[in-house]
Amino acid sequence: MRRRPLLTALCALAYLFMLGPILLVVAVAFSGGDTIHFPPEGLSLKWFGKALSQHSFTSALGTSVLVATGATLLALLVGVPLALAVQRGRLPGRRVIEALCLSPIVVPELVVGLALYQQLMVGLRVTALGTLMIGHAVLLIPYAVRVTGASLAMADPMLEEAARGLGAGPVTAFFRVTLPVLAPGILSAGLLSFITSFNNVPLSLLLTGPGTTTLPVEMLHYVEFSFDPVVAAVSTLLLALTVAVAVVTERLIGFNKVFGR
Amino acid sequence: MSRRSAGLLLVPGIALLAFGFVFPVCAMLLAPPEGDAAGVAGRLGGMLTDGYVLSIALRTVRIGLITMLASLLLGFPVAYAISRAPARRAGVLLALSTFPLLLSTVVRTYSWLVILGRNGLLSGVLTGLGITAHPPQLLYTETAIVLGLVQLFTPLMILSCYGSLSQVDSRLEEAARGLGASSGRAFRLVVLPMALPGVAVGSTLVFAGAVTAFTTPMLLGGTRQRTLATLLYDYASVSLDWTSASAVAVFMTMIVLAVGVLTGRVGASRLGARRARKVPPATAGAAGEGAV
Repeated sequence: MRRRPLLTALCALAYLFMLGPILLVVAVAFSGGDTIHFPPEGLSLKWFGKALSQHSFTSALGTSVLVATGATLLALLVGVPLALAVQRGRLPGRRVIEALCLSPIVVPELVVGLALYQQLMVGLRVTALGTLMIGHAVLLIPYAVRVTGASLAMADPMLEEAARGLGAGPVTAFFRVTLPVLAPGILSAGLLSFITSFNNVPLSLLLTGPGTTTLPVEMLHYVEFSFDPVVAAVSTLLLALTVAVAVVTERLIGFNKVFGR
Repeated sequence: MSRRSAGLLLVPGIALLAFGFVFPVCAMLLAPPEGDAAGVAGRLGGMLTDGYVLSIALRTVRIGLITMLASLLLGFPVAYAISRAPARRAGVLLALSTFPLLLSTVVRTYSWLVILGRNGLLSGVLTGLGITAHPPQLLYTETAIVLGLVQLFTPLMILSCYGSLSQVDSRLEEAARGLGASSGRAFRLVVLPMALPGVAVGSTLVFAGAVTAFTTPMLLGGTRQRTLATLLYDYASVSLDWTSASAVAVFMTMIVLAVGVLTGRVGASRLGARRARKVPPATAGAAGEGAV
């Protein structure tokens, strides 16, 4: 490859812009001072201690994990059959069904959140936790359908037909042949869904309240009202967790296969 | 698979979408709990002639456009470099640009408080060099929002552009050079036209994401630099004026849909029958939009 100094410089600039600021947060998290100050004043671990002992953060973390797990399972449970029907069903109006499955992406999440708040929480008195799970699941269905749909499109439908021809019922053929073929796709969709739900702010924002708050929303509200570096410490912990997930993913399936393509 | 069993497979998914998406969104527009549908339409009509709301809408669209252009300028060269790098290095570079998408927007936006805050990096540098005597006001400006959004959306632009660029055979570019084209000309005539679908998809996603983003304008723009999203939040949870909140919601959705239809048109006419399938819609759309 020819050397291209200009291209290299532009790329370095872009990566610095994307990743540099995140590293500053890590530096501030170890600060000994009481405000966000750069360079940090002194060195200490006190903000990590405060982050881990603050009840509002730990209970919000619990809610986030619960909602992300529930919504991911729900989205996969309805999304995989949707993908199967769309890809293999030879249904009339396939395009319309596909468009319906992907439609939650088109409407801004904040708007969906407002609608869910008005209609489900206030109108039908669904609990905050229930509404959060339903809303997140709806948001994740498009990903579940697309990612599993993509691996279905690549799988050979003859495999299932061979299984059926050899005497397997439709259910056996699904669990013994189709599902194992789809497993990597479903795993990717699940991982992506969990992370998307866990990080979500705009959809959760109007559905959370005292008692039921997700971690990103709690962090956001905290930053609005106080300037101490606790959130930097929480951010650093989340960063470490995300790096761990990325490394494990790389070992097991390949990072770019799941997230980058 | 018979049609009957395929139809059965659709039932739970369609039911969840109907209950958790179609019903609430339609009901919000047609029958708001307080006031009537005419109220929302009337309020929306009032907003379209209200200077305050219009200036916020204008700012929101301006922020969206600048963010889109800036992330294209930053992201396209990276996508091009990745598509031309040897496999191993390309993998690392791609992973590095995808990684920020997995991180919460709150975390990524928080980093700009460290840079732009009163005691932050930039104000320290500026006062340290004697350029300004007092820490300048960098936060709660439109520039702050744009900086935060560009950092947020450049990875998405990279993935979309890379989706197209990775389909361009590098030998085509070399052939053009071999036939006497300068590297700039080869790039313009060979690479760029083939990269356009990815650029179009990326630009649409980034614009829509920037216009509807909430976290970044909230933290970096505050109450001084409102956007439609923070205005909606204000109506819905501070002043509890649901009619106005619904009206802003409709306004915001219309902007996003209009741009989607527009780029869909342009894309379709430019590409002819070929669909922009090569762009990785699943991951690009997935990690990115959910991340806002």
